Amino acid sequence: MKHFLTRRDFLKGTTSALLGASLAFGREGQAAKKARVVLIRHRDVLDENSKVNADILQGMLDESVARLLDQPDGVKAFQTLVKPGETVGIKTNVWSYLPTPPELEAAIKRRLVDAGIAPDKIGLDDHTVRTNPLFVNATSLINVRPCRTHYLAGMSGCIKNYIMFGESQPFYHPDSCADLGSLFKLPQVQGKTRLNILCVLTPQFHGRGPHHFSRRFVWNYKGLIVGQDPVAVDTIGLELIKAKRREVLGKAQELPPVPKHIQLADTRHGIGTSDLNAIEFIKLGWDEDIMI
Amino acid sequence: MKVRTSGRALFGATAGLLAALTVFPGGGAVGDFSDKIPRKVGAWAAVGEDRVYDRETLYDYMDGGAEVYLAFDFREAWTRKYADAGGRELALDIYDMGSPAEAFGIFSCDRQDPGASIGQDSEYGFGLLRFRQGRYFVTVTASVEDETVGEVILELGREVVKHLGPPGAGPDMLGFLPAAGLRPERTSYFHSNVNLNNRFFISSENILQLDRSTDCVFAEVEAGAGEAAFLLLLRYPDAEKAGAARRSFLAGYAPEAGADGLARAEDGKWVCASLSGRFLAVVFEAPTAEWASRLISSLPLPKK
Repeated sequence: MKHFLTRRDFLKGTTSALLGASLAFGREGQAAKKARVVLIRHRDVLDENSKVNADILQGMLDESVARLLDQPDGVKAFQTLVKPGETVGIKTNVWSYLPTPPELEAAIKRRLVDAGIAPDKIGLDDHTVRTNPLFVNATSLINVRPCRTHYLAGMSGCIKNYIMFGESQPFYHPDSCADLGSLFKLPQVQGKTRLNILCVLTPQFHGRGPHHFSRRFVWNYKGLIVGQDPVAVDTIGLELIKAKRREVLGKAQELPPVPKHIQLADTRHGIGTSDLNAIEFIKLGWDEDIMI
Repeated sequence: MKVRTSGRALFGATAGLLAALTVFPGGGAVGDFSDKIPRKVGAWAAVGEDRVYDRETLYDYMDGGAEVYLAFDFREAWTRKYADAGGRELALDIYDMGSPAEAFGIFSCDRQDPGASIGQDSEYGFGLLRFRQGRYFVTVTASVEDETVGEVILELGREVVKHLGPPGAGPDMLGFLPAAGLRPERTSYFHSNVNLNNRFFISSENILQLDRSTDCVFAEVEAGAGEAAFLLLLRYPDAEKAGAARRSFLAGYAPEAGADGLARAEDGKWVCASLSGRFLAVVFEAPTAEWASRLISSLPLPKK
């Protein structure tokens, strides 16, 4: 029985169903709780020069996390994620071409402080998380990064964002980065991720050149995708990337190279769900050209 | 970190010894580019140290893209940044791909823009210049894209190509493609699954059993009504491996195919996988089964 994805699966228009079928396989009869993922968008979060409106972005973060956790506002929502006295690491992404927007990092940090975390107990880091004392001692992690395609992994999302916790990055490269999901089982990480934020303010749907970046493949989607399940969050992110690729590049290039690590994070590593049928997908805010 | 700096003052004894011991038929050792490539182009000047990356350190320069180069016979990359008074940056990268055929390969896997008439093959668009000359593949990338920056990029490219030595022949595999209906500017040459999947996604698994020992060309062929069919021609080290790859491909991709390797896909078009010695030809999205078989029969493959 074939369990992997081929071109023929998306000729049928059933790639999503197939990816989802992976979870159902072997789990019949289980009444799995759905993973909630919230997409929020705002028309005015970026201006005509793609500059971020920090106030609107803060509001988007608050509203989406509150909805995710069924809380009345952002502060109360963050209070359910972390407790005073904790050390919290914000795993960001500093890739020079498309980093996590500093306004988003600041918005997260602000709500952590509001939730009672001392400012000097909040780490913000990417490349040195393995040795940064605030990450070594962290009891909670917030995972945040932009959504983009990737030559090897197909998509760089919340799962791949933890590669810096690995001792060797090339160790995770074989077979199209198939085992990125195992990063979430590293002692420094396991059981600590409270929130995953996939920034889709300006997602990148295709790449070219040695660094896989060209501004022609970035668009102002003006959204955030948030959830507590990194696999579910990336699964929704992948749907967005696929939709944009289908629209701009054509159906033959709907899929970025091989986004298999998302599915395998579910089926092989069990850190979340890649089954769209097992995801409660909530959409908030601006819905023009929402695509998914 | 093993990255070497290669500024003139820093290009030391180790690199010099390497250069002396290594035969470079065209263009010289990549570290020599620090002396040869102009440090000023118009109002733009070199900033920081030139750097050299090898197969071990290329990961330090690229996020994920390194595998795309390592799947070829990549040897070293020489990089330099230029900046103007406004702080805008250009990145010049020169990759020694080991041979002209490999340089053609890395160039050919990512073609999209109009030609720029620089080197043997080139293209420019949206602040990205790509070209190949001899064993070298070159990119110039702008942090900001506008018309004036584009002119500087092209000027820099024209300066660089002067130092890359003579042109070289592309891969012999190109000679096995059909003459009729071929879209030559869309032909790609590579070895590994990572390159295939970036060019034309087939499977999340390596069902064609590709690795650095396989030579692959992917081509688009006019199939009527402005549409293209896709030809993937693969050369394995021996006929046994080619046969195993065909069995693996058909089992994973077209299990309903008979001995002729033909199957009708979900879009109504045909896929066909056919062996000839150590060559495996696979046609995707052919309008009819006969068209697919005819295309494969027309390939000028060697008899042995």
